[in-house]
Amino acid sequence: MKKTMIVLCFLLLSTVTGGCWNLREPNQLAIVIAAGLDASEDGRLKVSSQIAIPAGLSAEDSNAGRNRSFVVVSAYGKDFMDAGQNIQTQLSRTLFYAHRQTILIGQRMAQNGLAKHGIHRYLDMIVRNPKSEIRSVIWIVKDGEAKDILGTKPVFDPLLSTALSSIQMSLGMKPYYYREFLADSLTHGGAILLPAISLQRSSTKFVYTGAAVLNKEAELRLSGYLNPLESYYANWITGRQRMLTVTALQSQGAGSSISIRVKPLKRHVSVYKDKQGMRVHIRLHGNGDIVENNTLLDPSNAKDLHIIQDQLGKVANQAVAHLIDKAQKQYKVDFLGIGEHVHRKYPQEWKSLQKDWNATFAKLPITAEVHLRYQDPGQTNSSM
Amino acid sequence: MPSNESFTSNERPSLQEDPVRRVGPDLGENEQTLQAIFELCSDVVFRSVALQDNAKLLLVYVDGMIDKDVVQSSILRPLIYDGLPQGLRTLDSLAQMCDLQLVAALRTSRVTAFEEAADAILQGSVAFLAEDEDSILLADVSQYETRAIEEPSTEATLRGTRESFTEQLRTNTTMLRRIITTPKLKMETFQVGKLTKTEVVLSYIDGIAAPGLIDQVRSRISAIDIPSVLESGYIEEYVEDTNYSPFPQMQSTERADVVSAGLLEGRIAIFISGTPIVLVAPMTFWDGLQAPDDYYERFLYVTMNRWIRYIFSLFSLLFPSIYIALTTYHPEMMPPKLMLSITGLREQSPLPTVIEVFLMEFMFEGLREAGIRLPMQIGPLVSIVGALVIGQAAVAAGIISAPIVIVVSAAGISSFVIPRYRFGYPFRMLRFPLLLLSGLFGLFGVALGLIVILSHLIQLSPLGSPYLEPIAPTKKNMLQNVFLRKPRKRTS
Repeated sequence: MKKTMIVLCFLLLSTVTGGCWNLREPNQLAIVIAAGLDASEDGRLKVSSQIAIPAGLSAEDSNAGRNRSFVVVSAYGKDFMDAGQNIQTQLSRTLFYAHRQTILIGQRMAQNGLAKHGIHRYLDMIVRNPKSEIRSVIWIVKDGEAKDILGTKPVFDPLLSTALSSIQMSLGMKPYYYREFLADSLTHGGAILLPAISLQRSSTKFVYTGAAVLNKEAELRLSGYLNPLESYYANWITGRQRMLTVTALQSQGAGSSISIRVKPLKRHVSVYKDKQGMRVHIRLHGNGDIVENNTLLDPSNAKDLHIIQDQLGKVANQAVAHLIDKAQKQYKVDFLGIGEHVHRKYPQEWKSLQKDWNATFAKLPITAEVHLRYQDPGQTNSSM
Repeated sequence: MPSNESFTSNERPSLQEDPVRRVGPDLGENEQTLQAIFELCSDVVFRSVALQDNAKLLLVYVDGMIDKDVVQSSILRPLIYDGLPQGLRTLDSLAQMCDLQLVAALRTSRVTAFEEAADAILQGSVAFLAEDEDSILLADVSQYETRAIEEPSTEATLRGTRESFTEQLRTNTTMLRRIITTPKLKMETFQVGKLTKTEVVLSYIDGIAAPGLIDQVRSRISAIDIPSVLESGYIEEYVEDTNYSPFPQMQSTERADVVSAGLLEGRIAIFISGTPIVLVAPMTFWDGLQAPDDYYERFLYVTMNRWIRYIFSLFSLLFPSIYIALTTYHPEMMPPKLMLSITGLREQSPLPTVIEVFLMEFMFEGLREAGIRLPMQIGPLVSIVGALVIGQAAVAAGIISAPIVIVVSAAGISSFVIPRYRFGYPFRMLRFPLLLLSGLFGLFGVALGLIVILSHLIQLSPLGSPYLEPIAPTKKNMLQNVFLRKPRKRTS
C-alpha cells in the first residue's frame, strides 16, 4: 500500500515537473473559424484566416456594437503551414485550426493554381495535419479573393463559418464538406462541383452564385461556373439537392406563373451499351406541392392539372437539357457524375475510359427526362 | 457533546473489575451496599416502606425512568393498604413475595448479585429489597420520555409509509414486526459498549437470509469491544469490511419499509438502541441509487427516474472534470459555437480553469456543509450570501467565469439527485481527485481516475456480496431490475 502510494506520488510529480503539460486555456488560443486560399498575381500563396474574437461574441458585450466578432489576418507563404507561421507573427495567441468551419478558395487560385500546379497538390495539409478540421465546408469565390469574403459580416450569424453551410441547407442542398471534396477528388475522371460565392459589389454582403466546375483531369482547375438555377439541377442529378422550387410561366396571360415545390428529389441515371456504343439516360422525378398559382388554372380540375404538370415538366426538362448541353458542349467536362455511374456499371471498361473521361463524356449521347408530379394543390383550388 | 474517546481501555470504570458481591439477608447491609454503588447519584431514589406487620421493604429506582403510576397504584398501594398479595398460596412474608416474584408487573426477575441489580435499576427497573431475603426482586416498569414517531426527515417519499424509526429500540422492532408477521423474523440481541451497554439487535428472516452472512455479522458484532456505542455508525464501522472505501457498504435508513424490503431480500438489519438509524447489510452500488418508493410507484415512471438518477450521478462525478479536460486540453472536441462562447466568457478570468473550478467546488462544499449545521433562522443567509456574493458578484467582477459557476452548481445539484443522501458523498468526494487528474492530464486523466474507481468498486465485496452485482459479476436475471424496474406481475 505504502509502496504503491509512493510510486504514484513520484509518477504524478514526474509528469508535473517534467513539463509534459499541454494544457492550454481557451483564452490563449486564436481560434481560426475560416481559412481563405488565394494566389497573388505573381503566383504566390496568400492564406487568410478569419479569427474569432470571443470577447466580441459573448452575450454580455454584444450590445456594444463597436466590438468586432472576428478579425481577418493574411500572410504569404511557401505553403499553408509556412503562411500559417507568418500569420502567427501578427497574433499574440496560438493559432488553433480545429474549429475551422469554412475553406474558401479564391478564383485565381482555382483557375491557375500555384506554381503551375492545380489546387489538387495542396489538399494534403488539411488531411495530414491532425489539428486541422476536415469537416469544413469548401467554397470557391467567384470573381474575387477569399480574403474579401472573409471580411464580410453575415446578416444573422456573427461569423461567416456557420452562415455558409446554412446557406446551402436553406437552398435545399446538402452542405459540401471538405472530406467529401477529398473523396471526390481522389477518384479519376470528370469534374467536381463546388458551391461558389461572390461578393455583391453594391453592398458588402456575400451571395450564392451557383457552382464552380473543377476539372479533375486538369489538377482541379476551374473550368467555369454554373448559375444558381443550373447548379440546382446539377445537384439534383448528382444527388446533392433535397428540395427545389420549379416555376413555370403560363403562356396564356403574360406574367402569370405557377410554382411547385418538389421535396423528395429522386434521380436515376442508367448507362446502356449497345452496338452504337454507350448511352446514358437520366431520369429525374419528384413529387411536390403547388405553392403559388397566379394562373387561371384550377389544380383540382383534371384537365388543368394535366396542363400544369406539363408546363412545369417542360420547364424542368428544358433546364436539364440546357445543363447537359453546357456540360458537353461548353465546358466539355463531366460535372454531373456520369463517370461514376459508368464506373459502377462497367468497371472493366472504366479502367480504359477514366484516363480521358471528359473527352468521352463530351461525345456521349445523353438523354434526360424530368417528371414532376403534384401532390397537394395547397390550401385553395384555383387562383384567387 | 458526549465523547467516548476520553475513556481509553485502561481507564475503564472499576464496576466490572470488582468481585461479584452477593446479596445478604440483612436489609440494612444490602441498602448500604447499594447506597455505596449509587454514591453521588442524586437521581437514584431509595424508598423504604413499612408494611402492616412492620416488615420493611426497600424500593430502589432511578427517578424519571420508571412509570410512577404503575408503581404507586399497582404495587405500593396494594401492599400498604391490603397487605401482602394473596395469590394461589398465602404469603406470610415479604421475603416470600419477593421469592415468588409476586408483584403486579409484566417482567420481573430475581437476582442475587448487586451489580446485576444495579444494571437493571439503571435500565428502568424497580428493585425490591426485603428483610430476610437474600435476593433482589426486579420489576421492569421502565418508562421514560421518548420522541413520538415522526415522518422520515432524510428519506422523504411521495408514496409509502410516513413512519420513521425513533430512538427507542423496541418501538423500532415493533414497527418491523407489524410489517413482517412471521416467527421466522428473528431478533438477536447483543449488548455492546462497556459503559453504554447499548442494546444491538440483529434482525433477519430465517430461511431467507444466508446463514453464512448471519454468522459473519453475529461474530463481528460479538467481537466489538468498545466502551460506548452512541450511534449506529459505531457498529457499522466494526461490521463493514473496510473503512477505507469512499462508498458506504451498508444502507442506513430510518424507514421501516426499507428495512423490511432488505430483510425480505435476504439481508440483515442491525437496530441500535438510541438511534433512529438502522443498518441494512450488505449493500450494492445500485441500492444507493434506488429510492424507497421505487417499488410503490408505477414502473414506467420509476424506470425513467432511475435513469435520471444514473445519468445525474455520473454527471455529478464527471461534469467538472470533463469541462476542464474539454476546454483546456481538447477544445477541438467541443462544438465551435459553444467553444467560442465559453472562450468569450473566459476572456476576463485571471485564474486558470482548473483553479477556478477547484475554488468553486470548495465554495460549494462549504456552503453545503454550512447549510446543514446552521440554525433554521440563519439558514437562508447562507444561500443569499452564496448566491449573491459567490454566484453573481464573482462573475460580475470577472474573477470567476460564468460557465464555471454553471458547471459547479449543476454538478452539485445533480449529486443531490442521488436518493440516499450518504451515497452522494462518494460522488462529491471523488470529484476532487478527478478534477486534479483532468487538470493534469485531460481526458486521459479522467479515464485513469474512472478506471481506478471502477476497479475499486469491482473488488469491493461487502460481507461477501459483490458491490456491483448484478452488473459485475453479471447476473442476467437480475439485470432488468437495474436498468428498469420490471412490473411485479411479470417478474414473478
